[in-house]
Amino acid sequence: MPITRVSDAQRFDFLTDHANELAVSISDLNQQIATGKRLTRPDQDPLGSAQVVRAQSSLAALGQYDESTRFGQDVLGAQHDALGQAIDETMARAKELAADSSILTPDARSAASHEVDSLLQSLTAIGNSELAGRRLFGGLALDGPAPFADPLAPGYTAATAYSGSAAQVSVKIGSGSSERVQISTSGDQIFTSSLQALTDLKAAFDNDTPRAPSLDAVESAIGDLESERARVDVRASQLKQRGDQVAALTVTETAARSHVQDADLVAVISRLSQAQTALQALLAAGAQLSQTNLTDLLQI
Amino acid sequence: MAISPILDSAARALLANETVLSVVGENIANVDTPDYSRQRAELQADTVIAQVNGVAVGTGVHVQTVDQIVDPLLARRQLGAETDASQQSALSDQLGGLAGVLNDLDQPSLAGALGDFFDAADALGRNPQGLAERATLLARAGALVSEFHRRSAGLADLQRTIDDRYVAVASEVNDQLTRIAQLNGAIVAAEATGQSANASRDQRTAALNQLAQTVGISTTEDAHGAVTVSLAGGATLVAGTDVLHTVAIRTNGVGLDGGALHEAQLADPNGVVVRLPQAFATGELGGLANARDVAVVTASANLDRLVDGTGVDPGLRDAVNAVQQAGIDLDGNSTAAVPLFQGTGAAGIALSGAITVRTLAAAKTTEPGDNANALALADLRSTALPALGGTTFSGYVATEESRVGEDATQAGDVATASSLKLKQIQDQRAGISGVNLNEELTNLLRYQHAFQAASRVLTVGNEVLDELLKAV
Repeated sequence: MPITRVSDAQRFDFLTDHANELAVSISDLNQQIATGKRLTRPDQDPLGSAQVVRAQSSLAALGQYDESTRFGQDVLGAQHDALGQAIDETMARAKELAADSSILTPDARSAASHEVDSLLQSLTAIGNSELAGRRLFGGLALDGPAPFADPLAPGYTAATAYSGSAAQVSVKIGSGSSERVQISTSGDQIFTSSLQALTDLKAAFDNDTPRAPSLDAVESAIGDLESERARVDVRASQLKQRGDQVAALTVTETAARSHVQDADLVAVISRLSQAQTALQALLAAGAQLSQTNLTDLLQI
Repeated sequence: MAISPILDSAARALLANETVLSVVGENIANVDTPDYSRQRAELQADTVIAQVNGVAVGTGVHVQTVDQIVDPLLARRQLGAETDASQQSALSDQLGGLAGVLNDLDQPSLAGALGDFFDAADALGRNPQGLAERATLLARAGALVSEFHRRSAGLADLQRTIDDRYVAVASEVNDQLTRIAQLNGAIVAAEATGQSANASRDQRTAALNQLAQTVGISTTEDAHGAVTVSLAGGATLVAGTDVLHTVAIRTNGVGLDGGALHEAQLADPNGVVVRLPQAFATGELGGLANARDVAVVTASANLDRLVDGTGVDPGLRDAVNAVQQAGIDLDGNSTAAVPLFQGTGAAGIALSGAITVRTLAAAKTTEPGDNANALALADLRSTALPALGGTTFSGYVATEESRVGEDATQAGDVATASSLKLKQIQDQRAGISGVNLNEELTNLLRYQHAFQAASRVLTVGNEVLDELLKAV
């Protein structure tokens, strides 16, 4: 139905209604500028809200994967260093002593025996290494007793020296229950052959037995340690790669969430300026409106 | 020559124009009065009875009626539009409130509390024997419980607020019915004696519109000017000056807070109360009831489902407890009898009394450092549960957030459309019945001039009479 007649109340109602709409719009735009958020309530964009909630959950999970990869790399890095020390210092010296055993004098063999004792203690100390109170080769047990027994203690045998945790600890690096990376290996699986080789080497020096078996054992033990260090390096590399992936995913997920939730300040400020101009124009029109009746023209 | 017809005619014109000017003044006075319908004086030439020099001339003018300028069809359409707009507006407002209660875009939020809980499980996985990590997990579990309680209480508060509003709105209906019946009486009495009842009609129209906002009604006006008001179901509320049925507010059902909810029912003059749910399913009462009994209850049930699952498939409580109770605590003991959560529903979930930092199961074996159970707990973050529609906890929260937001958005759109429809009708009505000052001022000038002209006629008649009297 075409409008053929407009009452005075209608004219002012129109003015009030549109001024209210613009005021609400300006308030909304101001809120977006103040918070930097386009979305603050689910009824503003239901699907966008769901995306934001999911993105927040994903970002929280990614944050934990990042923490876990860093923690795992710290642990594996410490293990790498400890194994390097065992291989390059302790067992390398043991290999030299084993290689020289056939040419050593009795006094030198006695001194070598003492040195092997020292190496045994050194290797035991490496096996008992801690990182922030966690036993690196004892299932990462916290504040637990030393997993390897003192080699100078009576009744010591390499085979029974380890009494630490048998736990194989993993870190979670993804959403699936299989997305784990093992970051600890039971110490007995790593060091028993080395401890046994050193114990045998000491016995060889003490008992003046031929060199060959002891050297073979030491070399085999070094091989075990090197294998473990390689495994540690592979795991560390895996964690490093995953950490890089997580960092990239975090950036992507953050950008996606921002795209949905955050306000485009340039566009918002532009719209605010438009709304303010419209409100000013409306109020000016309102001022004119009050003058467009016969009361003023006829000066009644 | 007869002089008196001139004077009589002028006098009648003066009286008629004075009346018209009064009507114009009334219109100007009510230019901003809500629900006022402008009036128009209908002038009619008086019967030709005077004889002047053997010629029949008129005897002047009189005001036949003072009519309201209204469109009865528009008024009837407005009643329906008032009902629809009020119903949709009430529903939209309350769904907006519901979206606020379930808002996960702000803190604190349920999604945030769930994320924090699983973050703590991950942290426990990195240090399963750490007392700080254990304490943090328990604190986060407590915060999650608090968030369930807060959200559940928010829903209960919202439902109670809606019910309070429902009672307040329903309580006004009987006063409105009495008012309409009284106005019926005033209109019939005035118009029976030929008096104008325009002001009473405006008041009755306003009262009917107000009643229509509360509940859907239909009206019929009889020949004497009284309206009969009926509910959508056909029950007559007002007939003439009688209120035949009143609204009784009765308890009906129990709210989320354990208190009684209320329902509008129909009471006859003998005090017999009957339930007519469909009769009160429209208007603001209908919108409020829909929000209170459907939207809020559904949201509450869905929140409970997150905690309880379906009874067959586990929800959060049972899924977490299944992991917790399959593990080994810090002292190497089985936790088969030590759940993490207990209680039912979002309002009833609580931390188990047996759970402590030491009885939290981070391991699956007694080996120190074992973190397998903590990792299994952390895995729940991304585990899809059948009870939640095959989605994860956060996915379920996001879906629920989206559902409630969509409902609120749709209700807002419908409310806007209903309001626009009402506004259009109100504009049409205002276009017909509203006062336009320019028009009234023009009429003011017109009838002022007519009054001045009649005065001039009276003056001329008087002068003619004076001339005649001089000759005597």
